Formats: sequence, C-alpha cells, structure tokens
Amino acid sequence: MIWAAVRLIGLCGPPYNFVVSGSLNAMTVDYSTLAAGQEVSNRLIRVDGGTVSKYVGAVGDATAQPGGPGEAKAPPMAVAALGLRGVLDDLGIPSGALHAGQELSFSGPVDVGASLRCRATVARNSVRRGSRFVDIALSVLDDEEMEVMSGTTTLIMPGEAG
Amino acid sequence: MWEAGAALRSVEKSITQERVDDYAEASGDFNPIHLDHDFAAETRFGRTIAHGMLVAAAISEMMTSSFGLDWHRSGRMKLRFKAPVFPGDTATAFGEVKAVSDAEPDREVVCTVGVRRQTGEEAISGEARVTVRNES
Repeated sequence: MIWAAVRLIGLCGPPYNFVVSGSLNAMTVDYSTLAAGQEVSNRLIRVDGGTVSKYVGAVGDATAQPGGPGEAKAPPMAVAALGLRGVLDDLGIPSGALHAGQELSFSGPVDVGASLRCRATVARNSVRRGSRFVDIALSVLDDEEMEVMSGTTTLIMPGEAG
Repeated sequence: MWEAGAALRSVEKSITQERVDDYAEASGDFNPIHLDHDFAAETRFGRTIAHGMLVAAAISEMMTSSFGLDWHRSGRMKLRFKAPVFPGDTATAFGEVKAVSDAEPDREVVCTVGVRRQTGEEAISGEARVTVRNES
C-alpha cells in the first residue's frame, strides 16, 4: 500500500520523497547485485559527547539531557543518524536516491560516550514499475551485544532499475 | 493517563539552511541536494531541501517529551516521507493517541504522528508505539 502510494506520487507529481546521502566520492556499487541478507556495513561507532552536542544543536532537540559520558542519554534519533552514517559511506548511496520510508525501534537508552556496533544488511531488493527499491535493515548493539536500536530504511535508487 | 483521542504536545521547528548544514556535519550526510544551491537548483526540487531524518527528529522529540525514557526503551515508529521540507519552512510535528492497550501493568500507546509544513502540507506521516511503564 505504501509502495503504491510512493509510486503514485512519483508518477503523478514532483518527487515527494527525501533524497538521502549522496557522497560525491561514493564507491561504485551495482545495486542490482545486492542480495537479501547481504551485509553492507559493519562499523563500531562511539556516541561521543561532541557528536551528540552537534546533533542536538542541529535538530534543536529540547528534550536532550545535558551531561557528560555516563550521565546523559543520547537522543534516539542521534543514534539512528550515527547508525545510518555507515550505510551512507559504505553503500555509496547515489545522490539521486530517494528516502521513501523509515522504521525504527528503540530498545534502551544509550549513554553519551557509549560504543556501539552498527550492522546493516540488505532486507529486500526489488524492482517495481521500473524503479529499484532497496530496504536496508540496521541493527545497533551495545558493548554487551544487546540490541539498542533496529530499523529499516527504504530507498528508491535513481537511474535504470536493471 | 493516556486515552485515545488525546493530542500530543506538538513540536515546532524553523528549518533554516544553517540548521541543514549543521545536520549534514552531525550526520555525515553531505548530499549536495541539501547543501549546494546550484546543484539543488538543477534538481526536481529546484532548491535545497532538509534531510528527512532532520525533520523526523521532531517526531522523536515530541515522543520523548510526552513519554520520557519509555520512548528510549520501547519506542517504535514507521514513517513515510511524503513531501520535502525546505529551508525557510516551519515544520510542526504532531501526534494523537489512537489506541491504548488494556494490558497490565504496562500499556502500549499507539499514536498517529506526522510533520506538517506551514502550508498545511503533510511532509511525513506515520505511526508510533510506545510501552508506558506503570510507575505505581
């Protein structure tokens, strides 16, 4: 249903989906070869105070807690943004890609200063009405291997759908 | 106590190019559609647009404001990006409780959520769920 709506919008009017990523130095990836289950990113990130402060300043999150490592909790969407960063870099998402949808599940507060493992895999790769849809599943684990966040990012890739 | 039909306290954000630039730095998403006016002018959007996740952050802020750390512990949301938000826009995150489970002791609260531009256009729509702990 959502897909149908997205396609309808795409066909009938301006592209009402957000463009994501678009590293100018993106590596060349043949998106038609991405297979469900394929790991596309696996990174260790640190939710350092400087990065969180920068994030909070950018989004203007009034609920963000002040404090240093071990005291403050990172906004859940900051963790999501940091988690997606590896996908953007490692998958080399092209400039014309559209961000059609986002699912997120938060499983626990993340301390500022925490180290997290972010693993992204292809959940689905399909072609519909000439457009390639790629779902990327993201799993973020703390240093005790407990999942603190998971999600799925739906992208519509530009160009030929192969 | 949350009940179906209750409105969440909305969160309003002024989306400026400076904010978009700052978000690019914080998130590592340097797509020129967000940052480069000349590049963006040649796209279908005609001008730079805000990152979808920057705009969506207002929804999470609204949920945190309403549900506190329960949102960090158990929040889930499914969002559809429907329309771009441009620098110069005012984006307002809104939400309404759709249902509250009868489960005890913790209750699941289901909300319809979204973000509207100042024009009334819905930029994001979706659903959010959170398990609210019974503190008593």
